[in-house]
Amino acid sequence: MSATAPAHPAIAGPRLITGQGLAMALVIAVLAVFVLYPIYYLLQAAFDVGGADIRPPTAYGLDNFAALPKYQTVMLNTVMVALAATVMALVFGFVTAWILTRTNVPFAGALEQLMAVPYYVTPLLGALAWSLLGAPESGFINQLWRHFGGSEALIDITSPMGIAWVMALFEGSVAFVMISAVMTSMDPSLEEAAQMTGAGRWRTMLTITLPLVAPGVLGATIFVFAEMLGSFSAALVLGTPSRFYVITTAIYHFVSQYPPRLPLAAAMGVSLFAVMFVMLWLYRRIVMRKSYVTISGKAFRPRVMDVGWLRWLLFGVCVLYLVLSVLLPILTLLFASVQKLAVAFPKAANFTLDNFRQALALNAIKTAMTNSLLLGMITATLGVVFTGLLAWMIQRSRLPGRGVLEYIAMFPQAVPRLVFAFGMMWAWLVFPIPIYGTFWVLLIAYLTVFLPLGLRTISGVIMQLDRSLDECGQVSGASWGHRLRTITIPLLKPGLLAAWLLIFVASVRELGASILLMGPDSKVLTPAIVEAWFSSSSELTAAMALIQTAVIGVVLALFTSLTRRASRYGA
Amino acid sequence: MANPPAAPVIEVENLSIRYGAVTAVEGVGFRAGKGEQLTLLGPSGCGKTSTMRAVAGLEKPSAGSIRIDGTVMFDADAGINVPAERRGLSMVFQSYAIWPHMTVFDNVAYGLRVRGESGATLKEKVHHALDLVKMTQFAGRNASALSGGQQQRVALARACAFPSSVILFDEPLSNLDAKLRAEMRIELRDLQRRLGVTALYVTHDLEEALAMSDRIVVMSHGHIEQNGTPADIYNHPRTAFVADFVGSSNLVSGTVLPGSGGDAIVVRTAAGTLLHGIALGRPVGAEATLSLRTVHLALSPARPAGEINVWPVTVRQSVFLGDLSQVHVGWGGQELVIRETGACRFAPGDAAFLSIAPEHCVLLEG
Repeated sequence: MSATAPAHPAIAGPRLITGQGLAMALVIAVLAVFVLYPIYYLLQAAFDVGGADIRPPTAYGLDNFAALPKYQTVMLNTVMVALAATVMALVFGFVTAWILTRTNVPFAGALEQLMAVPYYVTPLLGALAWSLLGAPESGFINQLWRHFGGSEALIDITSPMGIAWVMALFEGSVAFVMISAVMTSMDPSLEEAAQMTGAGRWRTMLTITLPLVAPGVLGATIFVFAEMLGSFSAALVLGTPSRFYVITTAIYHFVSQYPPRLPLAAAMGVSLFAVMFVMLWLYRRIVMRKSYVTISGKAFRPRVMDVGWLRWLLFGVCVLYLVLSVLLPILTLLFASVQKLAVAFPKAANFTLDNFRQALALNAIKTAMTNSLLLGMITATLGVVFTGLLAWMIQRSRLPGRGVLEYIAMFPQAVPRLVFAFGMMWAWLVFPIPIYGTFWVLLIAYLTVFLPLGLRTISGVIMQLDRSLDECGQVSGASWGHRLRTITIPLLKPGLLAAWLLIFVASVRELGASILLMGPDSKVLTPAIVEAWFSSSSELTAAMALIQTAVIGVVLALFTSLTRRASRYGA
Repeated sequence: MANPPAAPVIEVENLSIRYGAVTAVEGVGFRAGKGEQLTLLGPSGCGKTSTMRAVAGLEKPSAGSIRIDGTVMFDADAGINVPAERRGLSMVFQSYAIWPHMTVFDNVAYGLRVRGESGATLKEKVHHALDLVKMTQFAGRNASALSGGQQQRVALARACAFPSSVILFDEPLSNLDAKLRAEMRIELRDLQRRLGVTALYVTHDLEEALAMSDRIVVMSHGHIEQNGTPADIYNHPRTAFVADFVGSSNLVSGTVLPGSGGDAIVVRTAAGTLLHGIALGRPVGAEATLSLRTVHLALSPARPAGEINVWPVTVRQSVFLGDLSQVHVGWGGQELVIRETGACRFAPGDAAFLSIAPEHCVLLEG
């Protein structure tokens, strides 16, 4: 080895076009078109006060917004449902997070894994199932209630509180993840210090623990509330039949009725988006502020409280939540799907497999299923490549304005997918290449609305990667592309695979954007399920929903078993 | 090796690095000759790591120039900034940056493969590099299954596997435990000498810097405090910062007495005590601060003969530190700290004589 021989591989002047530069320019261009172009059209429609069918608009004004107070019932409904749902979701999230992180509840590890499941069950599935359980006339629970001598209905899931209940059940899992993260990131020595000064367990909890977790819980509250404001599927399934509208379902109603009232829908969408944007901005401010002692990046093993025999009661509380949000809905759908007419009491004569047979035979369902799976795979694959590059640029490049890039990419999170799709509908209608109503517009829509999901997942992994792993490759003389291939991608593999799965699952089950953007030749599955709910039998719908869940489950299982070996390295 | 040879391998001139409004490095310049080990020494946040990263090409300076082997790598005025991968350097990172998804062999082979090596020559060179750090038997091991010390060795092998004129060391020993660190210090120095490679070394550890370097650049708050050989830096600190940072030191201030011409100076402290010292050709003003190393001060029960600087003192405190004892005495209206080898010979309240040779009373600048 001759370490003394200088070996500079061809040092020339600065290269103008590099692979890195080209990739970055492309990512920025795509990002701008995907995110900003529809937002522009959404705003244009909201301020359009010219003739109904003339585009581009001939006059702009605030008239559409001035008309909003007429729909104050909708606004009130939205706030009421969102508030009730937020309170319930936080109670679910806080209680389960406290139990699982701070007490010696049995099987805490398994329960913690299971707590993510409600999020995957989705509010739509939950709404369908809870509608079967709690509709005032036909709901199983009410049938049982009357059978055992009750009168009227015990519960009404189509009431505002019923809708909020269903939304809260599934958002509770999100609240759990956020709050338990806050609780586990707290240095236990802060509490121990209080105890050493002579404060008792409850005094410590009130004066130290609660104030320290309060900001994190507040952050979770704001985040959950913003999500509730933009939530769509539960209110659509449970509210619309009785003409109970929240803002998202009202927008959908205005767009899909004849004649459509698009400017009004746009104004509603923009208002909702403005409110959500402020909330999420607040959330970011709270979470970003590093002054909290609780957010220290270090993982602590929090102090576990010995609650004695009460631990079995707390275990029951967690199990009850999982039963209400996962087990009961799935079993209900299963029970309904094998009956000719869904009733609470099983009868042999009522048993049938026709619903599944019919669901699998329907041509519309078959194409919708194929489209959904295909879209899911393409979206996930392209999305991972795109958000991977984007996350890398935001986290690791020295690009000026990369903070702005992050803001643009996270933008779709502040816009309900339905509202975003509305902007897209408008935007891609006038796009010179005719893609509106096709498979491709759905692909673009999915790629856009799931940007934040992919970005967050991959950014999280990149942030944990030691910067010098890449720098070392650089000093060793490897180009950007070479390092990407030999260092970055192999190291990011677990994160990239996780992002692929998340985007795939989210795409296959997407409703808000698909319901507005799918054309007659580009049907996808979830809107088809909703359509079936409104226009054919609930038993058939239950079968369809179960088939969708099963297919996703199979793909997940296949994917994980195929990639398990690939995603692991080291001994 | 005290003087850099005629053609420097690393030349840094007037380097400044800014992060937004914060200036991390301001007007830094130094040279390292062929085969020399130059150390950037300073407390955390002094700009030493930023300076090294700028040499590596991982940080873009806002002003100044960097030349390696006479080739301009960075020049703010000429708009030249050669990317790190084309500077032909190698580097050992503080976190080792061992790629966990590769074997030890693949880690070490990386730079060689980038340079198009393959087959038998690649294998031979990798094994040669692993031999240097006594890690040959680990070649097939997964990198994530190594201990800290082993990772350190692999990082070292990786840095010297391919030919490069300069190796950069970014606090390479800071994550090792004290005993291993002392061993690696000697091994690293030996390796660098054997390879004859120029090394730029960053550390905040004084002993490490003194033990390993041909030349030390002491930095604080983004600028250079002193540039010299280890002995020079230790014996003749230029500023109060260096005196304090490079080993413990007592600072004594007073007025310079007239007539103490030449290099010898005499200072009268506020309490009236006279102290003889040396100026080392540094500008002498009306007021002066001298640095007195704690180990250069001597304490004895009887008045030592033949000393100019000798004073009767009373012991205030004495602390046993193991290899050393530390004694605090009252002197000229202040307290001086003395460190001597062995057990404590004095108890608080004891009377003793304090002395120090004038050449160890060094005038500080500024």
